[in-house]
Amino acid sequence: MAKSHWIERRLQPTDSLLATATVTLAAIVLALLLGGLLMLPFTPHPGQAYWAIVENAFGSLRGLGFTLVKATPLILIALGTIVAWRTSFFYLGFEGTLLLGAAATVWVALRAAPQEGLAGLPGWIFFPLVIGAAFAAGGLWAGAVGFLRSRFGGNEVLVSLMTNYVAILLVNYLVSGPLRAPGDLPQTERIPETTLLPFFIPDTRAHAGFLLALLAALLVWLFLRRTPLGYELIATGFSERAARYGGIPTSQRLVLAAFLAGGLGALAGLVEVLGVQFRLMDGIAQGTGFVGVVVALLGKLNPLGSVVAAILYAGMGVGSEVLQRRAGLPSSVIFIVQSLIVLLILAGDLLRYYRFTWPFRTGRLTATARPRE
Amino acid sequence: MELSQIFTAAFVVTWLAAALGLAGPVLLASLGEIFGERSGVLNIGIEGTMLLGALASFLVTFYTGSPWLGLTGALATGVLVALLLAWMYVTVRASQVVVGIVFNTLALGLASYGYRLAMGGQTQVQKIPMFGPVYLPGLSDLPALGPILFEHSVMFYLTAALVLAAGYLLYRTRFGLNLRAVGENPRAADTAGISVVRMRYAGVLFSGATAGMAGAYLVLAQLGIFRDNIIAGRGFIALAIVIFGRWNPYLAAAAAVIFGIADALQLSLQIFQLDLPAQLLLSLPYLLTILAMSGLLGRSLSPTALMTPYTKD
Amino acid sequence: MAPLLELRNITKQFPGVLADDRVSLTVEAGQIHALLGENGAGKSTLMHILYGLYRADAGEILLEGQPLQLHSPADAIAHGIGMIHQDFMLIPRFSVVENVVIGLQEGGPQLDLRSAAVRLSDLARQYGLAVDPEARVEHLSVGVQQRVEILKLLYRHARLLILDEPTGVLTPQETEGLFAVLRRLAAQGHAVLLITHKLHEVIDVADQVTVLRDGRVIGSLPARQSSARQLARMMVGREVTLRVDKPAQQTGPPLLQITDLRVRGDNGQPKVRGVTLTVHGGEILGLAGVDGNGQSELAEALMGLRPVEAGQVTLAKKDLTRHSPAARRASHLGYIPADRRQVGSIGPLSIAYNAVLGTLRRYTTWGGLFLNQGQIDRHARHLVNEFDVRTPSIHFEAGKLSGGNLQKVVLGRELLARPTALVVEQPTRGLDVGATEYVHRQLLAERSRGAALLLISAELEEILALSDRIAVLYQGEIMGVLTAGTQDPNSQIELLGLMMAGSPLASLSNLHTPGRSDGPHG
Repeated sequence: MAKSHWIERRLQPTDSLLATATVTLAAIVLALLLGGLLMLPFTPHPGQAYWAIVENAFGSLRGLGFTLVKATPLILIALGTIVAWRTSFFYLGFEGTLLLGAAATVWVALRAAPQEGLAGLPGWIFFPLVIGAAFAAGGLWAGAVGFLRSRFGGNEVLVSLMTNYVAILLVNYLVSGPLRAPGDLPQTERIPETTLLPFFIPDTRAHAGFLLALLAALLVWLFLRRTPLGYELIATGFSERAARYGGIPTSQRLVLAAFLAGGLGALAGLVEVLGVQFRLMDGIAQGTGFVGVVVALLGKLNPLGSVVAAILYAGMGVGSEVLQRRAGLPSSVIFIVQSLIVLLILAGDLLRYYRFTWPFRTGRLTATARPRE
Repeated sequence: MELSQIFTAAFVVTWLAAALGLAGPVLLASLGEIFGERSGVLNIGIEGTMLLGALASFLVTFYTGSPWLGLTGALATGVLVALLLAWMYVTVRASQVVVGIVFNTLALGLASYGYRLAMGGQTQVQKIPMFGPVYLPGLSDLPALGPILFEHSVMFYLTAALVLAAGYLLYRTRFGLNLRAVGENPRAADTAGISVVRMRYAGVLFSGATAGMAGAYLVLAQLGIFRDNIIAGRGFIALAIVIFGRWNPYLAAAAAVIFGIADALQLSLQIFQLDLPAQLLLSLPYLLTILAMSGLLGRSLSPTALMTPYTKD
Repeated sequence: MAPLLELRNITKQFPGVLADDRVSLTVEAGQIHALLGENGAGKSTLMHILYGLYRADAGEILLEGQPLQLHSPADAIAHGIGMIHQDFMLIPRFSVVENVVIGLQEGGPQLDLRSAAVRLSDLARQYGLAVDPEARVEHLSVGVQQRVEILKLLYRHARLLILDEPTGVLTPQETEGLFAVLRRLAAQGHAVLLITHKLHEVIDVADQVTVLRDGRVIGSLPARQSSARQLARMMVGREVTLRVDKPAQQTGPPLLQITDLRVRGDNGQPKVRGVTLTVHGGEILGLAGVDGNGQSELAEALMGLRPVEAGQVTLAKKDLTRHSPAARRASHLGYIPADRRQVGSIGPLSIAYNAVLGTLRRYTTWGGLFLNQGQIDRHARHLVNEFDVRTPSIHFEAGKLSGGNLQKVVLGRELLARPTALVVEQPTRGLDVGATEYVHRQLLAERSRGAALLLISAELEEILALSDRIAVLYQGEIMGVLTAGTQDPNSQIELLGLMMAGSPLASLSNLHTPGRSDGPHG
């Protein structure tokens, strides 16, 4: 018995495009408003601050370059998330795959130094080789978790969370032991110049890793949308029983999804090393593996949507950092806004269970719009 | 250097004392998490809750000068935050994994913002009054046992008391039985007249309360300062301890001590420049946790309805 | 004195179905009252109303003459009404006594399991329900678990115990034990409402029996004055209204052969226990039986979705027993599962993608690397046209289709693959008359084409209308195989009813006397 006439509980949540779009838009607006409130102690003009953030992130070539650099690993992690989560494999070990990828990349790249085994290798051999090595390292790392889930029914959420710490310790071991360069800091040697990713926008930090991420996004989109294997992963994700009924070997597909997700997540480490850090050291993941998951969710687990979400997310971050340096506005406000958007969209799902009709229009609307069964 | 030269009595005493100290905050956080998970909710958000608790305890203590008020502030913050999380987990029935992960990033932003707002542009690290070691006449003077067990802060003894309290609550009260029933088979619990929603709210609120206090533990008993990365994954370690401790407060205490022992040992080994990969030792608890969760050791002992939102029909 | 429980004109309407239609029922204290009826007769709905899970649209519930409003199971138990569900509401990892006291408020916040165990043991002794209060439920046999459920209700002072199909999971010995307990409960003044479809049980244990069919009370009579035959007729004996034009046809060679098949259920208990069946080309073999007697497990094992413990499955002389589902599909075995929404289709995917589920690899280009979207769409359009699927587009989400239209997609997909043999499970469950007729016509067309069809259905009418031969499955075993149309319809129904209730055909030969009719309403 609804007490008021203009709000009614639905049996099923509505999933009309309009409802979804409204909830998403409302969440974004509300998050920006709350963020604006948080800015007030630091600036009387939140609107201008938002505008400055956009300008700093996208208004100049230099800013755009930074934004793309920041977006690159996020895109790759998001792609890994998409492949795994669409197969209903809720992997959260991307901090770990990023580190594994970085470690494998540095190891191969150091072999390309003068006097080493791979010295003088031309780029068109070296880059595919290093990409393959990183992909395989991350893929096997995550694939193992997939194997545990499909073979023994393990819980991938908790297991993959724990693997992050093993990866952190592994890198810590490598940089303080076998791969440590002489000097005070636990880190490896700088990798040779020939192994660095070239910059693709002049006078910016934007490196070719971004193009790699775009290519990967395109390939993941193609894979999920246009190949039988992709179809099988998605079918497995929606309904394992129906997929098995359709003759799909779901256990194998789960492991495949885990492998691909880990591989893509490892490429995030590769671009960080070859494009930004140029060496392996502690603390290069710093939460990127989780932010990438959030980006994928914002992009509705769609590869192209996630590219957009990653660039916006990275841009907001870059812009707000500039603002913090210049105007003392804490960049954390933007961090809060970003998270709030996701939480509010999730909370907005509750609204989809209700049907709203404005009181002064009830007569007409209740007559035409009956709840869907 | 010979191993026997390292493992002298004095070393072992310092080592174990340090181990218990390191175990404290993560154990405290895991105690509440046990209640959350036993009711069927995996609250990954305790990492962020710990951070906010740490900030609250720091700020309150900074302005009032009283660590006790700081601890209260952290507790209140933890409960408040947990209320929000419980609403998302139980009422909205959003994915527990997603909410937890996103909340952690939110908390990171909030804590950094809150610190900036409260402390202004002060750049040098601010120290605050802390809980000192408690001197227990007689006990603290015991050889070996004294330094290991009885020279800790009041937070340590509070945590130890809460282990017993949690065990009692979980296994010896109707509330504990009903909470566990909800996490095992919500439908059966529902038909037996237990409110699934109320029990799950309670579980999440507990996890928030101890996570908040665990943040305070770090600030008020160990570090005396606040910084953005103060938690450094301890919330996730608490999750591991819950699993490793088989969702049982007493076993969780043992698990936390094992974590602490490994942690403290590697610190010492680094000092001794021993050529043993300390990371291997450190990763053992995680590897064991993975093994426990992987299904390799047969059926996992996790609450049956963990991570499954409940709808009446 | 007013009876313990009285239901007056209880009516419950679901979208499209009138589940209960003015049902009245009286249960006296000290009585075992059986509620008899087929699947879908309205028994479960009635019990859910009585247990506070549903609200009746009309009618009233009287407890000792007082009108009663029930809002939740907690309400029901507070009034002394307890229910034992088919799937037990127990927590396997808890001990017996823990399971008994969960949710109880009495006795303060502290948990006193010891005194609870003492009280439980007393109750157990009083009713002859031997059980160890400290034992963990997961270590107990199903029969003992049921005792725990009964004790749980007695511990809560239940006066009326509702048992929903309590013997489905019990061995004959356990069933005897349960009946002894029920008699003792009645003797001590409790009332028992026994929901069942098994005739022998009713005659064995009940005092009074009420037969429900299509949501209505057909009759209520003292169990001692009834006979199995009479009850069978009341339960299933309706006019055969369903007439399907079934052309006579020469059957072909044996195509689908099942030999001594054994399959276990989800909990490891044997569900298919040595089934041997042969289905010929151009033949529909109907497999009748009440739900839960191993039909789903049999069908899933045939498709390779459930491991076969022992026995053999061959299709056109090819042994498929160890083949994967994909290999079985490649050998032209088709399957229409009972659950069209969770198993037969993938709701969030489009009709087009559902149309190629199972045959995907035929719609690829570039050596199997990419999907051939054009070909998939053409195939889907063909399916939609051929099988009259009403949809705005082939890119419409399959899950949003009505049950009938979705079933057409599933049916069309399986039939367009030109199966040699087709396993069809509950093909018209929940469909309206038009869609049901359509599905039946398509199945007969498939028979004419020469395919071997195994039709698994709990709808006896459907089985009778379509089948060339009829087998009955009861507790994982075949009770016998009849050739359709050799006797008069009424005695055949009676025979099937008895077989569905667990009597092997061989033991029923004396009933083969056509034309007998001594029903209560004849």
